[in-house]
Amino acid sequence: MAIILVAGTSTTVFELTSSTIETSWEQLIYPLVVLMLTAVGVVLATRRKDNPIGWLLLLEGVVVVASGVAVDYAHYGLVDDPGSLPGASLAALYDQATWPLLFAPLAAIAYAFPDGRLPSPGWRRVAFAAACVCALAVLLGFFGPRGLDDPYDAVASPLPALPKAIFLPLYVLASVGLVAALIGAALAMRARMKRATGIERQQIKLLAYAATLIPGAVAVGWAESFITGNADAAATVALVIALIAIPLAIGIAIMRYRLYEVDRIINRTLVYVTLTVLLGGTYAVVSLSLGVVLGRGSTLATATATLAVALLFGTLRARVQRVVDRRFNRARYEGLRRVERHLVDLRAGRSAPEQTQAVLADALADRSLELLLWLPDSKEYVDAEGRVAAVDTGDERHVTPVRRGELQLAAVRHDPALSDQPDLLESVINAAGLAIEIARLRAEVQRRLAEVRESRARIVTAGYEERRRLERDLHDGAQQRLVSIGLAIRFVQGQLVSDRPGDIGAQLDETVVEVTRTIEELREMARGVRPACLDDGLAPALHELASRSPLPTEVHATGERFPEPIEAAAYFVASEALTNSVKHARASRVTVSAERSDGTLVLRIADDGVGGAVAGERSGLAGITDRVAALGGSVSLSSPRGAGTAVVAELPCAS
Amino acid sequence: MRVVIAEDQALLREGLRRLFEDAGHEVVAAVDNADRLRGAVSQHEPDLAVVDVRMPPTHTDEGMRAARWIRDAHPQVGVFILSQHIETSGAVGLVSQGGFGYFLKDRVLEVGEFLEAAQRVARGGSALDPRVVASLVGGRASDGLGGLTEREREVLSLMAQGLTNRAIATRLVLTERTVEGHVRSMLMKLDLPEGDGGHRRVLAVLAYLRAADARW
Repeated sequence: MAIILVAGTSTTVFELTSSTIETSWEQLIYPLVVLMLTAVGVVLATRRKDNPIGWLLLLEGVVVVASGVAVDYAHYGLVDDPGSLPGASLAALYDQATWPLLFAPLAAIAYAFPDGRLPSPGWRRVAFAAACVCALAVLLGFFGPRGLDDPYDAVASPLPALPKAIFLPLYVLASVGLVAALIGAALAMRARMKRATGIERQQIKLLAYAATLIPGAVAVGWAESFITGNADAAATVALVIALIAIPLAIGIAIMRYRLYEVDRIINRTLVYVTLTVLLGGTYAVVSLSLGVVLGRGSTLATATATLAVALLFGTLRARVQRVVDRRFNRARYEGLRRVERHLVDLRAGRSAPEQTQAVLADALADRSLELLLWLPDSKEYVDAEGRVAAVDTGDERHVTPVRRGELQLAAVRHDPALSDQPDLLESVINAAGLAIEIARLRAEVQRRLAEVRESRARIVTAGYEERRRLERDLHDGAQQRLVSIGLAIRFVQGQLVSDRPGDIGAQLDETVVEVTRTIEELREMARGVRPACLDDGLAPALHELASRSPLPTEVHATGERFPEPIEAAAYFVASEALTNSVKHARASRVTVSAERSDGTLVLRIADDGVGGAVAGERSGLAGITDRVAALGGSVSLSSPRGAGTAVVAELPCAS
Repeated sequence: MRVVIAEDQALLREGLRRLFEDAGHEVVAAVDNADRLRGAVSQHEPDLAVVDVRMPPTHTDEGMRAARWIRDAHPQVGVFILSQHIETSGAVGLVSQGGFGYFLKDRVLEVGEFLEAAQRVARGGSALDPRVVASLVGGRASDGLGGLTEREREVLSLMAQGLTNRAIATRLVLTERTVEGHVRSMLMKLDLPEGDGGHRRVLAVLAYLRAADARW
């Protein structure tokens, strides 16, 4: 590619500028090329002062201009108006001798692209040898034995000629040397390409891509001459594009402007060129073969061919893209395949959306990769498990947002090196879009669920708090007040005794009895709301509960304390289960046990009754079960017919 | 008898004060929290401290803790706990040591019974609310008491309340002798040592009931 670039550009420039028969196209090309070289050269020389490539481009411009001036000067001085200009023959000789200079700066650029330094110190000798060979070739041009070439072969060379015996071996040496120097330039680029990474690689790729426009232009020229009989308009346009593209590519590469589009441009070019050739071929084959069958100029043949092309387009493009990826972009190909497998597994249920992060890490070969899922409601990023994740972790990793249309889905935090392969990154992320969206939705659901769980636990806890407050109010407020009233009545009664005992005294006695009953009822109510003995812990409360049970009830309870809502929930489970045993089980005894096991309070209430109990939706146990579940626990009922009933509640109490 | 009252609710506190004063006792201090109770007990060395279980600041067991403190610091002072709810575990233990009473609050409305119990406690005897006794006797321990006659059971309950044989006899309208007979046969059936008729008897009975409680 480098050879093509250097040789192609040089010879084209050489031919175009030295040609004396200038068409209107060529008149346009010449200043355009010079302008391009100079403009890019000036930009690079001023913006990248320490990189000699800008200066080399300017030098190339100067050489081209000098060559052009020499050509015109010689033509005018020797042909148009012979003898009118001094040194016209020298100008002609200059033009003839300095052709190697036209591509010397370009070759130098190839040696030193893109940083302006040789690939390695070892290349210094090669570059020096190349410079020497170039100088030798120029010198031989000035002192050649043949004098001036056509159309000035009648004019004598103004410089002395070397004897053929000396000239010829030197000429052979110079010619071979020049070819070697060009090969050297190509090898230098190849060597650099091989070990280049990141930006440098992109720079070289860009230049190589531009350089392929020259064989492209040549192909266009061939095609044009094949079709029209001579290569002119189309070939020239293609060439102009190529000649403008190369310095432009050099400039863009060195200025590092949107370098990362290169891969995509190259990739798409390859795909569409191949596609065009294949579809064109298909069209030609179909229309020709059908034309033979149906007769020349058949509209049916044309229509069928068009249809075939149209039908082929979609599938063929995907195929070609795949082949191009496999051949030229292995990482992208493998990455996309990995993501596709994941999507298939996802649909088949073999893989979980939560694994998408691992799949992306795999597909992009970046173990540190993190997938941060965006929750629009809470405006924060979370990981696949719904944990809040900070986007700015302060390390040097990059964050690439993932969008689907206007919708922000997620962000991928990855190795900065991946930013050097935007095509890979973007296409893999796009391919994984569906999986990412599913993972995001799942995370969102998880998070909502967690929120609901938390709020449910809060509500239940608040309920217990409320019960405690209510119980306090009943005991310390209403009950005390009633006792005070009773005492006041007793006081009045005491006053009465002295002067008028009898009926009134008996009535007051009854009133006090009423007050006492009211207090009794209040106390029972308060106990139902929340037994005060829970203040002393679960074990005393369970003992108290058992002591009130009409069934012999054995209690084995740990003396440990647990969080208040847990103790309350456990107490109410036991209370409900005991009530059921008394009411329905026809049991003769009940065992209640409560112990801590692996951060869980395990409460078990078992009777020796008839069993066959069913946990109905409207049973008291169902309500308790809800409260236990709200605290993250569970209640299970085991009641085989004839073998007793066991209720087991497990309440998380990790402290 | 000289009494200190600790009750955070003013109305009830004054009611209790009047109740004691009307009965001819001297209320040397009426306070509204446990710290002041400790101060008053230390200062006055009363015969009896009547203490509300729940007092500021936490309204949980300040009274009970103060009672234990009085027990240790001033063992000669009788302590009468008034509670809003039946609590057996802590109270029964203290009651069985003597010089201690535990009543539900509304029991004070049975003025005569309450004053009698208060005087018993001040003298170093025991008093346990009949409903607490009922919960002990009627609950899980009922199996072990199966061998007792109805009358013996009654006697046991009254004994557990802290009543003397004479008081039991009065309550059940029996002669003291008959009561003594019931007590003897009951203690024998339960395999308990015969006491001297004082609080040690209560202790034995309560210990029995609590042991039965622990079995179940």
